Amino acid sequence: MQPEKFYYDNKIVRNFGIATVIWGIIGMTVGLIIAIQLYAPGMNMNNQYTTYGRIRPLHTNAVIFAFVGNAIFMGVYYSLQRLLKARMYSDWLSKIHFWGWQLIIVSAVITLPLGFTTSHEYAELEWPIDIAITLIWVVFGVNMFGTIFKRRERHLYVAIWFYIATFVTIAVLHIVNSMELPISAFKSYYIYAGVQDALVQWWYGHNAVAFFLTTPYLGMMYYFLPKMANRPIYSYKLSILHFWALIFIYIWAGPHHLLYTTLPGWAQSLGIAFSIMLIAPSWGGMINGLLTLRGAWDKVRDDVVLKFMVVGLTAYGMATFEGPMLSLKQVNGFAHFSDWIIAHVHVGALGWNGFLTFAILYWVIPRIYKTELFSKKLSAFHFWIGTLGILFYAIPMYWAGFTQSLMLKEFTPEGMLKYPNFLETTLQILPMHMMRSAGGAMYLLGVIVMAYNLARTMMQGSLVANEAAQAMPLAPANTVVKEHSWHRTLERKPIQLMIAALVVILVGTFVELMPTLTIKSNIPTIASVKSYTPLELQGRDLYIREGCSNCHSQTVRPFRSETERYGEYSKAGEFVYDHPFLWGSKRTGPDLAREGQKYGNAWHYNHLMDPRLMSPGSIMPNYDWLISQKLDTTTTRSKINAMRTLGVPYALGYEDKANADLDKQAKGISDNLATDHIKVKSNKEIIAIIAYLQRLGVDIKANKTNNK
Amino acid sequence: MFKQFTENITANQGYLLFSLGIFFVFFVVVTIMLIRLRKEHVAHMSDMPLHDGINEPKKHGRL
Repeated sequence: MQPEKFYYDNKIVRNFGIATVIWGIIGMTVGLIIAIQLYAPGMNMNNQYTTYGRIRPLHTNAVIFAFVGNAIFMGVYYSLQRLLKARMYSDWLSKIHFWGWQLIIVSAVITLPLGFTTSHEYAELEWPIDIAITLIWVVFGVNMFGTIFKRRERHLYVAIWFYIATFVTIAVLHIVNSMELPISAFKSYYIYAGVQDALVQWWYGHNAVAFFLTTPYLGMMYYFLPKMANRPIYSYKLSILHFWALIFIYIWAGPHHLLYTTLPGWAQSLGIAFSIMLIAPSWGGMINGLLTLRGAWDKVRDDVVLKFMVVGLTAYGMATFEGPMLSLKQVNGFAHFSDWIIAHVHVGALGWNGFLTFAILYWVIPRIYKTELFSKKLSAFHFWIGTLGILFYAIPMYWAGFTQSLMLKEFTPEGMLKYPNFLETTLQILPMHMMRSAGGAMYLLGVIVMAYNLARTMMQGSLVANEAAQAMPLAPANTVVKEHSWHRTLERKPIQLMIAALVVILVGTFVELMPTLTIKSNIPTIASVKSYTPLELQGRDLYIREGCSNCHSQTVRPFRSETERYGEYSKAGEFVYDHPFLWGSKRTGPDLAREGQKYGNAWHYNHLMDPRLMSPGSIMPNYDWLISQKLDTTTTRSKINAMRTLGVPYALGYEDKANADLDKQAKGISDNLATDHIKVKSNKEIIAIIAYLQRLGVDIKANKTNNK
Repeated sequence: MFKQFTENITANQGYLLFSLGIFFVFFVVVTIMLIRLRKEHVAHMSDMPLHDGINEPKKHGRL
């Protein structure tokens, strides 16, 4: 047999590489802006489109799906072709994938600041974009499997299994977590409610970390690290164990995001147990990566690419040890909702994802341009400013998290909360937040220097768009001898491998999700909990639009420090009409689950207009546009209809009367405000949001009063 | 610490034991697979990234 000549497509790799750098700079710049907003609320330029609540999702989506997403595709398109000794299946599909993905990102950049959001973290994009994501993901899958089918290498290397698992699991996660009932072009309600919605969201959220930020990067590590060090992976057997164990265990760990909430206790325990087990495969992978460099540590001294890899792997090890520790209930009770979690995720994001991406960019770009890196000095500068940036970011955030949690939990000898005013604890940690933004700025500066360095590298070389290669064609399938082991057989059967991976991730998914979604007794209802009035429903949607849940949680955990501060701890039955749930994951401001009737309408009006009027020093931005903007009541009918379809008990025909009820309630609030000399028309948005805030937690209080 | 686990699982013990069972079986299967792998195959697989059909690397210790 003669070897076949063929060409690798380097242009698509280059395009994804450039997109990675551009979106990385944009996403991190937005991150820096919102970090500054946390001590200088005026940084939104008094503009509703740039408030923290609206652009925090833009930051997370941009860095996860735009920066890391494009980096994944860069790494996959480069390594897949070479591991399979075949050009990508279709140049057209590669192009559709590239431009489709960029369009999705652009649509996120437009819709999120406009307030079109589902409120599910890391899945904020509304339903039409969800459909576009699904289509483009399928294009990616067809292109990947098409390439696998026409390969010239019988067995699939472990990196490709990680890519296959990524493809299939992200598809499952995205579809299940995007089950929404659309009510207009850019508004929908999740079909799940309350605690069920929370479980689905965090099953998704946790596994987005697992299968978007981890498994594709592990695949890339298993390909690029041996290439960079010019030696095979330390243990291939360990990589097999790593793969199966990681994808099997990861999928179960989602409930550790919901400890001490109203999620059934058994699901919480299951989440904790599997989170602890996760240390084993995670560290197995890290050790496999680091030991690949055994005997090559001298190279690390002067090869910036390996330096990035070593720090990246170390950050992965730290984050994957810290994660299971944070899943322990006692630690979680202290760390959850605090800046500790922000530190934790950024060690992973900046260290693991960021540094691996930079290493791959520095390695790939000179190779496909057949040149040397423009400046080694600049890349060394990038490494050091990036590493220092991570430290300056993470350490102040840990400090802030410990400080604030300790303050929030501190009691006086008389048994009273020592810091009853939440704001006191916020003001205490502002210096840490300032230092954090300095750390973020350092990291961003490094990325900008890298962009310049890579651009100059591209300018001094010329792209080998189609790189010639040759390999022996595969022998026809019927001539292949029987394999010696099951796994060896599996390694040359991509579809069976995908199905095996799918089965493995579905086991945990079913065990965890099904009982809560199907067994009614898991969510005890509370008689006094009623559905929202039309005005409250509209107010709730404004609360979602403004992204309030990015800073305010709505779930009181059963700790004395919380029941003293906020009121009775939350019950599952309180959230049965909440499509979506709005528990939040971070308390930059106080919890609002028991906010209703705590203050008068006038307090809320003034507070939303300028929070500093009521709480001097507050870091919440002004929401004065709520006073001038008219509430859109044309949507009330479709909202009531949609909610009824989802099981909220609005009587048949109520959609016809809903707006009359809405007007009546709104007038009551504006009349009440008038008694405090506040003149505002009843058709303004602020009335609806006040109505919603005044409703929060009121039902459970009514329950208590009735039972007395 | 373990007290809270035992307290929490009473109502759904069967469920948790079932999970543990799947977990155990799964790892036994993967371990058997690993044991059955041949050395030459493992060496072939782990060398894959180093052969891309362009510039074949020099021989090294593991080959």
